[in-house]
Amino acid sequence: MSVVVKKVDLTWLDRTYLWPIAKGLTITLKHFLKQVFKPTPKRLTVQYPEMKRPVLDGYRGLHELKRNEDNSIKCVACFMCAEACPARCITIEAEEIGDINTQQGLLEKRPASFQIDALRCIFCGMCQEACPKDAIWLRKNYELSCRSRFEMQLDKYDLMNTYAGDDGRERVEHIERAAPKPERQPLSNQLG
Amino acid sequence: MDYTFTFLGLDIPIIPVAWMLAKIVVVFAGVMGLSAVLTWAERKGAALIQDRIGPNRAKFIGNFRLFGIFHLAGDGLKLIFKEDLVPGHVSRWLFWIAPLLAFIPAMMGFAIVPFGQSFEWRDFTFHLSVIDPENGMGMLYPLAIAALAVYGIFTASWASNNKFSMLSGMRGAAHMVSYEIGLSLAVIAVFMQAGHYDPHRIIEAQTGLWNVFAQPVGFLVFLVCAFAETNRLPFDFAEGESEIVAGFLTEFSGMKLGFLWLSEYIHLVTISALMATLYFGGWKIPFMPDPVGLLSNWLGPWIGPWLGVLLSIAAFAAKLLAFCWFFIWVRWTLPRFRYDQLMFIGWKVMLPIGFANLLFYAWLIHRAAA
Repeated sequence: MSVVVKKVDLTWLDRTYLWPIAKGLTITLKHFLKQVFKPTPKRLTVQYPEMKRPVLDGYRGLHELKRNEDNSIKCVACFMCAEACPARCITIEAEEIGDINTQQGLLEKRPASFQIDALRCIFCGMCQEACPKDAIWLRKNYELSCRSRFEMQLDKYDLMNTYAGDDGRERVEHIERAAPKPERQPLSNQLG
Repeated sequence: MDYTFTFLGLDIPIIPVAWMLAKIVVVFAGVMGLSAVLTWAERKGAALIQDRIGPNRAKFIGNFRLFGIFHLAGDGLKLIFKEDLVPGHVSRWLFWIAPLLAFIPAMMGFAIVPFGQSFEWRDFTFHLSVIDPENGMGMLYPLAIAALAVYGIFTASWASNNKFSMLSGMRGAAHMVSYEIGLSLAVIAVFMQAGHYDPHRIIEAQTGLWNVFAQPVGFLVFLVCAFAETNRLPFDFAEGESEIVAGFLTEFSGMKLGFLWLSEYIHLVTISALMATLYFGGWKIPFMPDPVGLLSNWLGPWIGPWLGVLLSIAAFAAKLLAFCWFFIWVRWTLPRFRYDQLMFIGWKVMLPIGFANLLFYAWLIHRAAA
C-alpha cells in the first residue's frame, strides 16, 4: 500500500521564512524561560553525585553475606551459590565449626573463606536464588568504584560488612577467624 | 594645559596618547573577554533552550560555581596546555598563520565603533571609539575588515590539505562573498540617510528615530547577511559539522583551534556592535538624546558628565549583549539551510531586496530635496 504524502501549500506568510522563524524563536524562548526559572530538583537531568534517583525494587547491586543475631555468618558453605554462579566468581573454602551455634540449631560447617571477584560477577542474582539459607543478598549499592582491581576481590569479611553502615549494624572484624587471613590471590591463580 | 614629553625628538602630548592607549587596552580586553564569555553563554543558552542544564561543575575557591562560568577558565587552560598537533600533510607555514589571519581582522573591526558618548575635559574632547571620528574611513573600515575574514577561513582550509576542509573553505568563501554584497547594499541606505559614513554622525542622525524603524527592510537584509558573515547558523556552511566533519577546523587543535573559535565569537561581537551602531542608535538612550548634557544640568559639572558617559556606555553594552544573545538564540532554533537555498537567498532574495531598498531611499531623499 502506498502512502500519499499530502503536499502542504505554504501561505505567502510562510514563504517569507520570517514568520515561521519568529514562531520557532518563541518556542525556543518559552523553553529557555521555563528551564531558567525551574528549580534544579524539578529539572529532567538528575545532578548525580548530589541527587540520586531512588533505586527500584528488585535491583541487584553489591552482595551482602547475611549474619545471625550474634554476628556469626549465616552461610553454611554448601557451595550451592558457587555452583549456580554462571560467571564462576565465587570461591568458597569450608571448615568445621568447633563450638555449637545455638541460634541456628546445630551447624557443622561454615566458610573459612568466601571470595567474590566483583569484577567477574555479572550481578545476575543466581547465587541469591540458589542459597538455601538466604545468606547472600544482592542489594542496592551500585557505586562500585575503586582504585585497583585488587580491591574488587571481596572476601568474607568485606562481604559481611558491605551494608553495615546503611543498616546501622556494627562491622564484623576478623576476630572470629581461626586461621590468619590468607593472602588474596588473583583469580587466575585460584583457577589454577 | 598642555602636558607633553619628548621622546626620540618628538613632542608627545601625554593626555591624548594615554587616552588612546587606555582605549586600546580596554576595548581589546573587553572584546576578548566578552567573546570568551559568549562561549559560555552559548553552551549555557543551548542547554537551557534544549531543556538541559549545561555547564555547572567547575568550581572556584571552595564550592563557588556561579552557573558554571568557571568552565571558561577550564576550557581556556585546556586549549593552551593541549598538545599542539600539526599533521604531517599540512602546509606548515599557512597552517601556523591561518588562526592569526582569522583572529586579527576579527579584532580590528571593533576599533571604529563608538561605545559611548564623547565628552570634554580640560580643553580636550575624548571620543569613546579607538579610532577618532572624521578619519575618512568611517563605517567602510569595518566592512572592509570583515571582508578579510574570508582569508582566515580559506587559508585554514587550504593549509589543512584535507578534502573536508577544502570543501568547507570553498563553501565558506563563496557564501561570505555573496552575502557581503547584500550587507553593503543595506548599509549604503543608512549612509545616504545619515549623509555621511562616519559612525558618530550616523549615531547623531538617529536621534529621535532609530534606523531600525526608519529602514526596517534594510535592517532585515543586514541581519540576515550578518548571520552569513559571522558563519553562524543557519548559515554555518564553513563548519557544517554534520556534513563535513568540522570543516576548516578539522585539523586544528590546541590554542590554534582556540584562536579560530575565539575569532568566530569576536566576529559576532563586532557585527552586533555594527548592528547597534547602524540601526539601534549606538549609545543613544531612548528619549534622552544627550545624556552627558542632561546629567550635567541635573547633577552639576562634577558627577554629571561621568554618569552620563557611563550611562551611554551601559546603553551600548545592553544593545550589544542583546544582539549577541539573539545570535545564540537563533543558532539553537534554526537548522542549517541547504547550499542551493543559501545561494538562492543570497543572490535572488537579499540582493534584489537590498537594491530595492537602496533605490527606494534614494528616491525618498531625492524627492525631499526637490
